[in-house]
Amino acid sequence: MKSLFLALIGMAVAPVVGGLVSGLDRILTARCQSRKGPPLIQPFYDAAKLWGKEVTATNPWQAFCAVMYLVAAAASVGLLCAGSDLLLIFFVQAVGAVFLVMGAYAVPSPYSQIGAQRELLQMVAYEPLIILTIVGIRLMTGSFRVDAVFALDQPLLFKLPLLFLVLGYALTIKLRKSPFDISACHHAHQEIVRGVYTEFSGPYLALIEIAHWYEVILVLGLVSLFWATSIAGMILLVAATYAAEILVDNVSSRMTWRWMLGSVWLSGLVLSGINLVWLYAR
Amino acid sequence: MPVSVIKDFIEKSRLKSPWLVHFDCGSCNGCDIEVLACLTPLYDVERFGILNIGNPKHADMLLVTGTVNHRNKKVLKNLYDQMPHPKVVLALGACGTSGGVFREAYNVVGGVDKVIPVDVYVPGCAVKPEAIIDGVVTALGRLAEKRAEASASAKE
Amino acid sequence: MPDTLLFLLIVVPFLAALGCLLLRQEQLRSLIIIGTGGLLTLCALMLMASTPFSAAPKSILGISVSMLIQAADFFLLGVIGYYGYKHRNLLIQGLAVLQFVLLACFETFMVAPGKEYATFYGDTLSLVMVLVICIVGSLICIHAIPYMKEHEHHLQLEGSKQPRFFAIMVLFLGAMNGLVLTNDLSFFYFFFELTTICSFLLIGHDQTEIAETNAVRALWMNALGGAALLVGIMWIYSKTGTMDMQAIISAGPKAALLLPLALLCFAGFTKAAQAPFQSWLLGAMVAPTPTSALLHSSTMVKAGVYLVIRFAPAFAGTFLSLGVALAGAFTFLAMAVLAMGQSNGKKILAYSTVSNLGLIMACAGINTKAAITAAILLIIFHALTKALLFLCVGTIEQRIGSRDIEDMRGLLTAMPWTAVILVAGILTMILPPFGMLLGKWVAIESSSQQLFVIVMLALGSAVTVAYWARWAGQIMSVSSLGAREPELQPMLTRGPLAALLGGAVLLSALWPWVYNRVAGPGPGLANPASAAVMGFMIVVIGSGFLWAVNAMRQARTARMTRPYLCGAPENVEGTYVGPINQDMPVILGNAYFTSLVTEDRLTCWVNMGAGLMLVLMIGGAL
Ligand code: SF4
Repeated sequence: MKSLFLALIGMAVAPVVGGLVSGLDRILTARCQSRKGPPLIQPFYDAAKLWGKEVTATNPWQAFCAVMYLVAAAASVGLLCAGSDLLLIFFVQAVGAVFLVMGAYAVPSPYSQIGAQRELLQMVAYEPLIILTIVGIRLMTGSFRVDAVFALDQPLLFKLPLLFLVLGYALTIKLRKSPFDISACHHAHQEIVRGVYTEFSGPYLALIEIAHWYEVILVLGLVSLFWATSIAGMILLVAATYAAEILVDNVSSRMTWRWMLGSVWLSGLVLSGINLVWLYAR
Repeated sequence: MPVSVIKDFIEKSRLKSPWLVHFDCGSCNGCDIEVLACLTPLYDVERFGILNIGNPKHADMLLVTGTVNHRNKKVLKNLYDQMPHPKVVLALGACGTSGGVFREAYNVVGGVDKVIPVDVYVPGCAVKPEAIIDGVVTALGRLAEKRAEASASAKE
Repeated sequence: MPDTLLFLLIVVPFLAALGCLLLRQEQLRSLIIIGTGGLLTLCALMLMASTPFSAAPKSILGISVSMLIQAADFFLLGVIGYYGYKHRNLLIQGLAVLQFVLLACFETFMVAPGKEYATFYGDTLSLVMVLVICIVGSLICIHAIPYMKEHEHHLQLEGSKQPRFFAIMVLFLGAMNGLVLTNDLSFFYFFFELTTICSFLLIGHDQTEIAETNAVRALWMNALGGAALLVGIMWIYSKTGTMDMQAIISAGPKAALLLPLALLCFAGFTKAAQAPFQSWLLGAMVAPTPTSALLHSSTMVKAGVYLVIRFAPAFAGTFLSLGVALAGAFTFLAMAVLAMGQSNGKKILAYSTVSNLGLIMACAGINTKAAITAAILLIIFHALTKALLFLCVGTIEQRIGSRDIEDMRGLLTAMPWTAVILVAGILTMILPPFGMLLGKWVAIESSSQQLFVIVMLALGSAVTVAYWARWAGQIMSVSSLGAREPELQPMLTRGPLAALLGGAVLLSALWPWVYNRVAGPGPGLANPASAAVMGFMIVVIGSGFLWAVNAMRQARTARMTRPYLCGAPENVEGTYVGPINQDMPVILGNAYFTSLVTEDRLTCWVNMGAGLMLVLMIGGAL
């Protein structure tokens, strides 16, 4: 009962926090480019405006996919807040990812189709890394559950430094930040227009924006697990990681999917392999 | 009460988050460069929530530069149709407003308003970034008016 | 009671096969097939009530069972030899002669009458297999009735070959039932060879050149497995002096038995088409689709995994077990990567079958109670979904004349009903809260102690999602505004599809119950997808689903815009107005990564890797 309560609270609070984090992201990005940037609550203005726009669609199936993306993203955050099984959380967010891809596939426009294929490649790149990180956490705690992480007396980061790097890698891809803004970009300077988002408009795009906030929270939640022993450590780690993400986003250019897949699978596997061997050897 | 709060917030948001799509309809590129200049740190239009989104399906405002010719007028119409309501159109530069110095050319339609309804005309050759920003702000006023008209006609 | 059920489950299909051969009238044949299917389903369900059981029927219809099986063994080897001779394949001939001689020596010199034991035995594993075989298998046979009619119509045959086809199909079900219910190694060998012959005949059914080549390949690979099985059985008998499978298994791991068990696993690997033997199953898709559906889902390949899972307790905790896990996980990853490079729908299904069986093998190799449970659950859900997908592709192929997934782009317009079923089937394959994914979840949780296994499972599962989502996505890729015509299909085509999808969804919803039923009592078996978790998921995702359906309905009335092509004008759907006002087609296609995933080149490497894995596995038993 308590965990259900936590899940519901998480699902209610996450979009608010996620939206604010996105707003902060935009301000910091603007500052990096010596601009002033939008107000903090700009993402909420954007979503509300989109929600109020006319409903247009090319294929009704898009509407289905947008809703399922949001629901799955919300459910995964709910499960995280309830302290559920990490693999389950991961699988549920994959539901959202798959539906986003299907929604992009739903319209025979070259931009969204190429975006969909690239998004699949991004999934191929980040999913194994996240699974391996979860396995690392399992080896430390003896359980796949999130609440087991909070029972530890030492931050995970000390034992899983390389896996933390790997997770950072994976999350950059998951959030589609440069150099991995391959399938879609939050800024409109991409060769495939807006990739997977191209064909969603109005309220459906609003749903996708909100789903993205949930994903930001999910990602930050995963990061926070690495310093679960103190609140201050948690906040510090999350802030530092996200700041690093923004910095990387601003200083790097977009890479090709080949480079992404090759470098991520290679370095990700080597790093997580080394870290896991340490744990097995214990 | 909460419903009306949300509705008010949505109405407010329309003015706080104008997303643009910029279409070069046969411009000499002079105006285009000025449009992009608006995004630079000097002018930083993102302060007002303005984003150059590059996709009519996401946009609220269509910024058209150039004379409009017989070849690309259909494209202009198409882009306009793909934008969801409510939406406004800005004709930028001497060319966009009237065809400018190319007005008499055989292939030129001469002005955006020959093809789609235009809400705001921004003159200049090339159009100045300050003028573009001013035009966008004026267009936001038009957007609010259009909403008011639409809701008034919906009530009737 | 079990005796009667055994008779009905194993012997009736043989009789029905005879009926199909002799009564060559079409309506009558349909009646026999539907009747047998119904009877088998009923018997399988009734068997649920009486497991676990053991039985030792001495005779059927007055003939001694073991005599009958012995005679049939030699007959089967004769048949294999005959086909080896007919197709001038020295390898098959050699294997047949070798097995003939070995079997003859074995039966005459070695086997001494020992003490009595149950020749048939049923526990949860056999029960699950029987249910899968009888229910999924019967549905496939029923779907085949309209399919084969259309198929022969298309081929414009002179005389119908359907009696032979359906006879083998139902015979196959009987053979599989026997295989999973027997407790006697020599009976097991008989049924094992019988499935080899049946699959050979079914693959070669169309008698085209390619069909014959592929059938012969299937025969030699499986005969190799059969030979390994026979040697393994003889070896085990010489060490333990019994053919009682339960006695061998319950004795626990013994160092002396590891090598023969490795041979048994080898036989399982050939039958389950694990790398490097995947080529026979890939070749099997030249056969009419119901054959592929049967081989891939409920029979044949499942016999291979059944064999390994059955004997898993006898090598638990040994290096052999690790070898099985590694080889299985390697197959899982390698086949998923190969599937990524395919645009042929049936080949994607085939690679995915091999890949999923690799996952099941990996579970058997991890060999904890939870992993074995995962393996059994994966068998159930894989059978349901894979049968569904094959039947869908077959149905689509008959309509659009292609099995290429590129040709299925926008299938929603042409075949709305089948397209939706196919997409739903694909989603049950990769997403929670459906059984396949939950099974994979248990599998990954139980393999977290094996570094290499878990790395390969992690990589493989990501690739798996990608190649399925790609296919499902483009089926729904439609921009047509025109009204869709309702799709017309015979009831016997539509019914099995709906039943299979319904079964997969319903069993997923009942997951906690199914899990407990399969896992049984025992420590260390906490079901990760507990009733509470499943409840949460079903409520949230279910209500999301309803919301999504509602949103989709509203979107139908929304203003429709055209796909974004940079505003290029469009006169005819699917084209844009290009230079000199020509209508240029908009051609979309998927990337198949042909520069990275070249089937020929990669297969060569994969086979080498898998061969090494097998050597590792068998060598580990030394
Ligand atoms: S108005 Fe002047 S600068 Fe602008 S497009 Fe026309 S000619 Fe070029």
